[in-house]
Amino acid sequence: MKQAMATSLSLSCCSPSLTRNTLFFTKTFPFSRSFSLPQSLSTKTLISLSPPRRTFAVRAESQNGAEPAGHYDFDLFTIGAGSGGVRASRFASNFGANAAICELPFSTISSDTTGGVGGTCVIRGCVPKKLLVYASKFSHEFEESNGFGWRYDSEPKHDWSSLIANKNAELQRLTGIYKNILKNNNVKLIEGRGKIVDPHTVDVDGKLYTAKNILVSVGGRPFIPDIPGKEYAIDSDAALDLPSKPEKIAIVGGGYIALEFAGIFNGLKSEVHVFIRQKKVLRGFDEEIRDFVEEHMALRGIEFHTEESPVAITKAADGSLSLKTSKGTVEGFSHVMFATGRKPNIKNLGLESVGVKIAKDGSIEVDEYSQTSVPSIWAIGDVTNRINLTPVALMEGVALTKTLFLNEPTKPDYRAVPAAVFSQPPIGGVGLTEDQAVEQHGDIDVYTANFRPLKATLSGLPDRVFMKLIVSAKTNQVLGLHMCGDDAPEIVQGFAVAIKAGLTKADFDSTVGIHPTAAEEFVTMRTPTRKVRKSHASQDKSDSEAKAAAGS
Amino acid sequence: MARKVLRDDEPDLNKGEVVEGTNFDFDLFIIGAGSGGVRAARFSSNFGAKVGICELPFDPISSETIGGVGGTCVIRGCVPKKILVYGASYGGELEDARNYGWELSEHIDFNWKKLLQKKTDEINRLNGIYKRLLSNAGVKLFEGEGKIAGPNEVEVTQLDGTKLSYTAKHILIATGSRAQRPDIPGKELGITSDEALSLEEFPKRTVILGAGYIAVEFASIWRGMGSDVNLVFRRELPLRGFDDEMRAVVARNLEGRGINLHPRTNLKELIKTDDGIKVITDHGEELIADAVLFATGRAPNSKRLNLEKVGVEVDKSGAIKVDEYSRTNIPSIWAVGDVTNRFNLTPVALMEASLFAKTVFGGESLKPNYNDIPYAVFSIPPLSVVGLSEEDAIEKTNGDVLVFTSTFNPMKNTISGRQEKTIMKLVVDAQTDKVLGASMCGPDAPEIIQGIAIALKCGATKAQFDSTVGIHPSAAEEFVTMRTVTRRVTGGAKPKTSL
Repeated sequence: MKQAMATSLSLSCCSPSLTRNTLFFTKTFPFSRSFSLPQSLSTKTLISLSPPRRTFAVRAESQNGAEPAGHYDFDLFTIGAGSGGVRASRFASNFGANAAICELPFSTISSDTTGGVGGTCVIRGCVPKKLLVYASKFSHEFEESNGFGWRYDSEPKHDWSSLIANKNAELQRLTGIYKNILKNNNVKLIEGRGKIVDPHTVDVDGKLYTAKNILVSVGGRPFIPDIPGKEYAIDSDAALDLPSKPEKIAIVGGGYIALEFAGIFNGLKSEVHVFIRQKKVLRGFDEEIRDFVEEHMALRGIEFHTEESPVAITKAADGSLSLKTSKGTVEGFSHVMFATGRKPNIKNLGLESVGVKIAKDGSIEVDEYSQTSVPSIWAIGDVTNRINLTPVALMEGVALTKTLFLNEPTKPDYRAVPAAVFSQPPIGGVGLTEDQAVEQHGDIDVYTANFRPLKATLSGLPDRVFMKLIVSAKTNQVLGLHMCGDDAPEIVQGFAVAIKAGLTKADFDSTVGIHPTAAEEFVTMRTPTRKVRKSHASQDKSDSEAKAAAGS
Repeated sequence: MARKVLRDDEPDLNKGEVVEGTNFDFDLFIIGAGSGGVRAARFSSNFGAKVGICELPFDPISSETIGGVGGTCVIRGCVPKKILVYGASYGGELEDARNYGWELSEHIDFNWKKLLQKKTDEINRLNGIYKRLLSNAGVKLFEGEGKIAGPNEVEVTQLDGTKLSYTAKHILIATGSRAQRPDIPGKELGITSDEALSLEEFPKRTVILGAGYIAVEFASIWRGMGSDVNLVFRRELPLRGFDDEMRAVVARNLEGRGINLHPRTNLKELIKTDDGIKVITDHGEELIADAVLFATGRAPNSKRLNLEKVGVEVDKSGAIKVDEYSRTNIPSIWAVGDVTNRFNLTPVALMEASLFAKTVFGGESLKPNYNDIPYAVFSIPPLSVVGLSEEDAIEKTNGDVLVFTSTFNPMKNTISGRQEKTIMKLVVDAQTDKVLGASMCGPDAPEIIQGIAIALKCGATKAQFDSTVGIHPSAAEEFVTMRTVTRRVTGGAKPKTSL
């Protein structure tokens, strides 16, 4: 009865009048996690590091938050109104729970005292990042358009301040929409800093609130390493809201944030240098994608300095910055940006005092149901450092509310989570990398395509597209799909449904292409580029190779 | 585009007039080197067959005696069309750039002739690539017009008029189709899509008759390049056969981009004047145009093949009748692609051709499967669909149908200020939870639908869509985050409209 009611409520919880994209789906940043999640999870989430607890059945019985709150003010008190927190409190309320949420005051730059409803994704992550990607991509389109007969009397010029003003107006609109979402769903929003006092009490700026369950969804923040001159460096928060456009910028880091900003500033005609400690960018991604994206970003004028660690930043008399690295010094930067990772926001939350266990990486330790070591305290999103993506935080938020308020113990499913990098060209991927596939499945067939898209043949620009399918030789299942090139994030989403559903290469082949698109290449890959076999030289290998070749 | 099923039995390659052991010049002779013909030639050759193929001489404008290796798709279809769509899309992009902080010069020039030249260069390059594909596959290419001379004989009339004659164990007809003109006074003043892709001068004022995908695509192309476009069509909405809701969205978007729509209208007469072509509609309205495009359908190229000589059957539209294995009523003669008027798309011709080659030379009897074929209309913004429309789903499903729709302002428009919504739709069988159809109108729709098509083809359920995590921020993620049913339609209920 209760369940039925809650289900019908869940159908109405997404108000159809609310429009999309920037509203409900909000992403945070993965640190250096790879696309494919089963592996990294097995070390962290799936095999719980925490001590044995009561079995879930018992817990679900005794902790069903949909029971009357009793002597508590709320059934659920959420600290942090970002993607995960807003989703969890909305759904909780729709499932009949009495929910409250607290969040710091709005600012484009996050700190111990500033945040804003909407969180990283909306205010200083996915959304503003993508808006700047749109802005910067136009310069490439202007170049392309020349090849299609368009001609400008003068070179298009970019006005940074009007872009930033328009972007901030949009962010204000979005944070307002998020507040309305909370209000319309009867979630009490409290502005201020939340701190856990005891397993059932949260202090917000001196006022105490009791709750049957407390959810910590405070996200993460950029981390700048402790080197001399670090006060001259900016992080991604600041980079999204600079007063003026960098003339020459050093970006330290090789993760997706570094690459996305490199693309943004390159497109807006800054001189861009990227410094990475490793040999290659995007650790954890498929090796061929790593090579391809770096090569193509370099073709667009970004200078990569590989195997260089930052040592110090100095400021010259003229105000310009120099970056000293393990290999030498590069001078003349207007800005030095660190995209060297993010850390969970666990400070000053009172976690230690109530006994919430913190993992070595500084994240809150949770079990598969997002429960911390204190049974009434739960955590989702970046603060748990599982897969730091908005859609994953949303999934965790929904799963948690089903567990707590619908009597449906639900674990988030981290298999085949697709992800994108909005570099230029962009990357999309789902499932295993080639290396992971070999390790986990042994014998695999790899199909690749590396082609010049139709647009580039006319534009004359050196743009190419790279696509890759990784297939289990034994089961024919498609284990991984990766792409770097125009529209990759949009293209990969549909394929993610297929891969999540466990479909095979034969299923891909039986699908008719949409012509002319780039995406059709994924359903017309007939001949393996290579076959990786743990056990070499089987008889059928040459046979099947001959057959595959004949099929091309 | 309806599928025609003429026979249900397995093909028997030994029956009828297929003569074993005779000395033929070729195992396979193909008339027509377009998408289907080239594919069949290459695959058959790879299976060990000795293959000959003939094709008319190359030119962008097709006729009874003009064609070119690569066929419609490469020379006067998909490829040049998409090139022009790219070219036209910059018109909108330049508008969108301004609110993103870009200051563009007052005067921006679009040079049609330059684009046309580059398009022609690219088509020439592709034509050469296709020829090389054939020679690399060991296929013998003849230039000239092919005709059927007997169940196992083809005659090729070369450019200089000399005739060659070859025998072949199997003959494949893959001659495609050509644009048609309506029979109205002054029709010679109008052009078809062939000419529209190669106009000497850019037409500043245009009238397009038709509402199929070709009409809609050219409307977007010309409008994006700055033409004043009038789209004239007989029905209430363009794109008959597509999901009604999507049709309405496309119509709204075309208007939003500045195209003048004339629904429930036909053309009566074209008259040449000093100022351009005077176009008179059946409402008595007069329009002046530099170009009038007839996008009123295409007809199979079957008339000059001498089919009657051996009695190959054609239907009323002139399409060659074939069974499920693409075999005609003459056992040694087969046909694939548009000339059979099944599902006139390049990837479908490729599928038919591949399976023809496997059936005849690969030792496997395989029928093309026409379920869940995705396709796209490259209007600006584009439309792409796979599976059933809402109307078809309601008609074909016994139980209830759940419709999930999402209409939203794409993120790019939040700053550009463009007033154009993206719409996405999933049609689900309430009983089985199976997703029956997916459609989208908005930027990147054709790229987005391709992956969705695999899921549909393999019978994916709405629950499987829901269990897939989104890619944020993308438009495509909407397909996996549609939580609320927009409407539930009781099975057997008739479609609401008759547009």
